[in-house]
Amino acid sequence: MKRLPILVAVLRDPDLLPGLRLADWDLLLRQSTSANLSPTLLALIEEHGLLDTVPAQPRAHLDWVRALATRHRQAVGFEVECIQAALARVDGVAPLLLLKGAAYAMAGLRAGAGRLFGDIDIMVPQARLDDVESALMLHGWASSQTDAYDQRYYRQWMHELPPMQHVRRQSSIDVHHAILPQTAPVHPDPALLRAAAVPIAHAPGLATLAPADMVLHSAVHLFFDGEFDKGLRDLLDLHFLFREFGVHAGFWEALPARARALELERPLFYALRYSRRLLGTPVPDAVLDALAEAAPNRGLLAVMDALFERALLPMHASCSDAFTGTARFALYVRGNWLRMPPLMLARHLFHKAFLSRKQSS
Amino acid sequence: MAASETWRLRPGQTLQYRQWDGECILYNDLSGDTHLLGDGAIELLLALRRGPATRAALAAVLQAEFDLAPAELDLETDTLLHDLQHLNLIDTLAC
Amino acid sequence: MLTVASLSRRQLETRLAGPGLLVQTGAFVSRIRSPIRHVADGIALLYGDYPIHGADGFADFHVGLQYPGGLRRWYQPQVNFDLDGQLPFEPLPEAHAFPMLEWGLNWCISTRAHAYLMIHAAVVERGGLAAILPAPPGSGKSTLCAALVNRGWRLLSDELALFRPEDGLLVPVPRPVSLKNRSIDVIRGYVADAVLSRPVSNTTKGTVAHLKAPADSVARAHETARPAWIVFPKYEAGAATSLTPIPRARAFFRVADNAFNYSHMGARGFATLAGAIEGCTSYDFRYSNLDEAMALFAALEAPR
Repeated sequence: MKRLPILVAVLRDPDLLPGLRLADWDLLLRQSTSANLSPTLLALIEEHGLLDTVPAQPRAHLDWVRALATRHRQAVGFEVECIQAALARVDGVAPLLLLKGAAYAMAGLRAGAGRLFGDIDIMVPQARLDDVESALMLHGWASSQTDAYDQRYYRQWMHELPPMQHVRRQSSIDVHHAILPQTAPVHPDPALLRAAAVPIAHAPGLATLAPADMVLHSAVHLFFDGEFDKGLRDLLDLHFLFREFGVHAGFWEALPARARALELERPLFYALRYSRRLLGTPVPDAVLDALAEAAPNRGLLAVMDALFERALLPMHASCSDAFTGTARFALYVRGNWLRMPPLMLARHLFHKAFLSRKQSS
Repeated sequence: MAASETWRLRPGQTLQYRQWDGECILYNDLSGDTHLLGDGAIELLLALRRGPATRAALAAVLQAEFDLAPAELDLETDTLLHDLQHLNLIDTLAC
Repeated sequence: MLTVASLSRRQLETRLAGPGLLVQTGAFVSRIRSPIRHVADGIALLYGDYPIHGADGFADFHVGLQYPGGLRRWYQPQVNFDLDGQLPFEPLPEAHAFPMLEWGLNWCISTRAHAYLMIHAAVVERGGLAAILPAPPGSGKSTLCAALVNRGWRLLSDELALFRPEDGLLVPVPRPVSLKNRSIDVIRGYVADAVLSRPVSNTTKGTVAHLKAPADSVARAHETARPAWIVFPKYEAGAATSLTPIPRARAFFRVADNAFNYSHMGARGFATLAGAIEGCTSYDFRYSNLDEAMALFAALEAPR
């Protein structure tokens, strides 16, 4: 692997921070800004008690970011409460199952500290989707997709409703019924995920996926989605989740079997591999050994290593080489290919590239 | 609303406010909104900051502070309570 | 401290075309890169007094005014505002490059510097007390601001009032004052030896030019100011000069309406703005005659 960008080096080893010169800080903040990780960097600095070692000029940037992180956390808490209130009368959706950023924030997980995101993600049984959508509309949310093709795309093929926006607050909610679309080659059973869901201790009426499932969902999200502009942030989520849950008895031992039950061994393999290689996550060898059969063949692995290790770096000029653009595009196509069969994908990308734009002009 | 219904300040509301010339501005700690409130609303909120109170007790607060005819008192109290609840500033205690 | 004026034109162009020019404007350092002549012209004319830093100094913003790739580099050339690899705006005609730099820098500050409560307003100071002039476009704020800073007031900013939550003081970011259309000629007539950039026409705001900030304002760019007056200006041809007090709660919401980040700042924003309203007297100000406006401002009384 090439020398790591300063942002990744610091995430791996925060003890590097006191030794940084002003020019290093300049570059570090530019990388963290482009990776949307400045609030995360701030959380790391504060967690390690290193704020006083930061020179005045970069410290000002951290102050800028602290205000946003605080406000964001407040907004998430309020939004989740509004969603709970809206769905209070819908059968079968209590406790409300939160996913991703909202789950990390409300459960107080390390992965949630300083993590900014745009949408609240929830998961409900597929059979309750219509009732959930109606209840949300009654309380002020509206579907944001107006294009008839996109509406059909979502409802027929995707694992979620089209995103809904609250008309007054402008906040967004994604209602999932599964963690992968029907068109994907694997089908992790949502009933298994819901059955294992864990209530949030200090937040009545709210739940998250079980630790192993949370990790697997994050891995799926990163390695099956097309868009890698959030790649480093998503890998960092995995890193923090592994570290937080890794100290719980039985977590590592049960993880491979759970991945197998949900057909998600390959994404887990990649998650463990790249989290360890890029961010130095302490992953027991036994876990990777248990997944050996799920690994791709050596040729494919070499290609994937090259692709992912570039695509997971901050999207900043200082971290790019000649291959980075190709890497991201190849993974974008791969991401979407994993979710939609090739013929449908061509039609979808064509529509996205031409038809939608014409209609909106 | 029942006279015996008990109201409280929503947990988390610290009532950061300023009162200037008969108008009151208030920061909503839950929603992040900033409200322009009349004197009646802030009196009710300050009463609830001292502790939960029944609807009847809150009506009495309004009666003591403002010049309200008995017929108006009920309507004013209920309207204020409803509005403040809608703004996530107060809610009722479960019996 | 070295300033932009200490560089020869060639040195300036070399830095702009190469590693970038690091310029300090009050609270912020910007690294500016551009091969475009208009940008070098504007900086040479208007930024002479500002301190510069070495190439490995820390910059808050890394901006570039760059030609797009492809045909638009040569045919009806355009310019992009590049913020460290992002292109937040549509390209503009090449002739608009210098105004684009100024708008772009304002945008950088107003979308990022959330340690401050930021209001879209001009800020001027005299005798230790500052007047804040919030105003939507077309109110005559910039003309008023340009006149005031040439009649004894210090310029803190023509666009950005930055309130420091810790103490409620205003932080300067004195940069060239942007003027539009009619006000360019008005100021040319009102300010002897006004140093103005070459007007650029056909922008989305009409014809635009920038006025050099007074040297004294730039020299005192590190000096905060205590807010004393909030004045909402409205230029109306033929109107009598008038100053009308605004009730505090109303003033609060009107200022919040003109804020870039009131909502982002949460409870701190509320407390900071409330403190400002309490410490200031707020007015609606109507005028048509600049001399009368100057006299009125000079006569403003400190709040009790």
